[in-house]
Amino acid sequence: MNEELEALYQSTYTAVVRFLYRKVWDAERAEDLAQEVFVRALSHKPEKPRAWVFAVAANLARDEARAAVRRRRHLTLLKGDPIAQPTVAPSADHAVEHDEQMASVQDALNTLTPRDREILLLWDAGLSYPEIAAQTGLAVGAVGTTLARARRRLVDAHDRQHSGTGTDAAHS
Amino acid sequence: MRHIPEEELHAYLDQGLSRTQCVEIESHLAACSSCQATRDGIAALRDRTTALLATLAPPRTIPPSFESLRRRADEAVTARRRRLHLLAWAASLVLAVGLGWSASVIFRPRGGGSFAEGPASRAVQAHTASRLDTLRAGQPGAAPSPIRPAEPTQPERPAPSAPQPSREPRRTSAVRSVAYPTHADSTTRRPDREAVLSVLNTQPAPELTKLDSPRSSGEDFDGMWRTMSWDGAQAEAGKPLPHIDGLPVVQIQVQNAEGTRPVMVVAQQLASGQVIRTIEGSAAEVSQLLARRTMTDVDSVQLRGDSSTHTAAGAAAIDPSHSMAMQVGDRMLAITGDLPSDSLRAMIRRINAEMRSK
Repeated sequence: MNEELEALYQSTYTAVVRFLYRKVWDAERAEDLAQEVFVRALSHKPEKPRAWVFAVAANLARDEARAAVRRRRHLTLLKGDPIAQPTVAPSADHAVEHDEQMASVQDALNTLTPRDREILLLWDAGLSYPEIAAQTGLAVGAVGTTLARARRRLVDAHDRQHSGTGTDAAHS
Repeated sequence: MRHIPEEELHAYLDQGLSRTQCVEIESHLAACSSCQATRDGIAALRDRTTALLATLAPPRTIPPSFESLRRRADEAVTARRRRLHLLAWAASLVLAVGLGWSASVIFRPRGGGSFAEGPASRAVQAHTASRLDTLRAGQPGAAPSPIRPAEPTQPERPAPSAPQPSREPRRTSAVRSVAYPTHADSTTRRPDREAVLSVLNTQPAPELTKLDSPRSSGEDFDGMWRTMSWDGAQAEAGKPLPHIDGLPVVQIQVQNAEGTRPVMVVAQQLASGQVIRTIEGSAAEVSQLLARRTMTDVDSVQLRGDSSTHTAAGAAAIDPSHSMAMQVGDRMLAITGDLPSDSLRAMIRRINAEMRSK
């Protein structure tokens, strides 16, 4: 089992970091969480390690996001501002240097529903249809439909920003 | 002719379709240029998506060695176990009623430090208060006894002093006649109270010498024990005896090793008739006693004689008795009884709370 985990680690660590980065928007934090995921895998010895790793990663990221929201909410209440909407975009307190391109892709990604976004990111991380289905509760047959929609929306949203012209809505 | 839906082409290109489905699609694609064009468009869409998402990546770093993660995992396991041991300590209190242990040294987790003041112990006090009140409510009435009990107060005292030289160091002493002082009512600790005498017939101890009278109930502890009166034991110990305030005492036993302070066992009876025993002595001896009692509990912690390093005695299941122990400095207090651990724990906490409030 340890050899299997080590092989998985070598082959997917980067993908896990990237997956986490797209949720926490902090490179260092993403690495910490990714390592934490594999440390836990060593203790839990899951039966399906690959799916397990991404499921745990998603959970850790979600917990982080909730903690961050609580902190932000706390701060905004103190300042008297309205409560900030939790989004995928990086918050002001993250020292993220991202260029314009990254920002526009982020914005485009934010136009997706959370579910569509999650499935797209899982696919991009390298999970298969059955793995995505297992983790998200979607039927295997519906994964393709979701990805089709998500991809279309992402590209359209990004192109809209850049070209300034709307795309044909017939695809959505 | 039915064209292939876009979602299916996505799935096909993602290799998310079965072999059969792929064959169907490929054979259709071979014959349908419209679908070929659609497929090409979708392939381009997929590529664009991948390219866009690729910008959302942190700078690449070298992953830490897998070995370092393995080490972290091992540390996490150790830390978890350590936390459980600490919890066992915090939860397993031992009675120090009558010994005047100061509150700040009650807890002695590994590595020093003290959390006698912690929120956990405070929360626990409230819980035990009700528990012990329940126990006290069921106290039996005074039973006849010719013996007058010693003053069962628990005055403020410093840590127990060294054993007196006048005490017999020998292990082999005859069992003296038994005297049973009791403390049926904690609120009126008058020395002239009538004592309650109740002798419990518990299982015979395998290790006791044949000097034992049939009524002696030191069976659970190995080694040789002298049964004493309250006054006698107190005189011998030179300090107050460990016991639970308010319960009738049915037996007191003392064990001496060469040149050391005696280990004392005070057996008391609950309203239900069950006997609990409070043990006090050097950490090494008490822990040995408890360790020998524990037999099948796989989770029980190995006790070490060296009190300076010490950790939990844990709640060992000795069928069906349970015990809880607490180490204070180089002394250890324990309580054992045929009660569920929760009851013992609650009693101990209550006593601890009382003791700390003195």
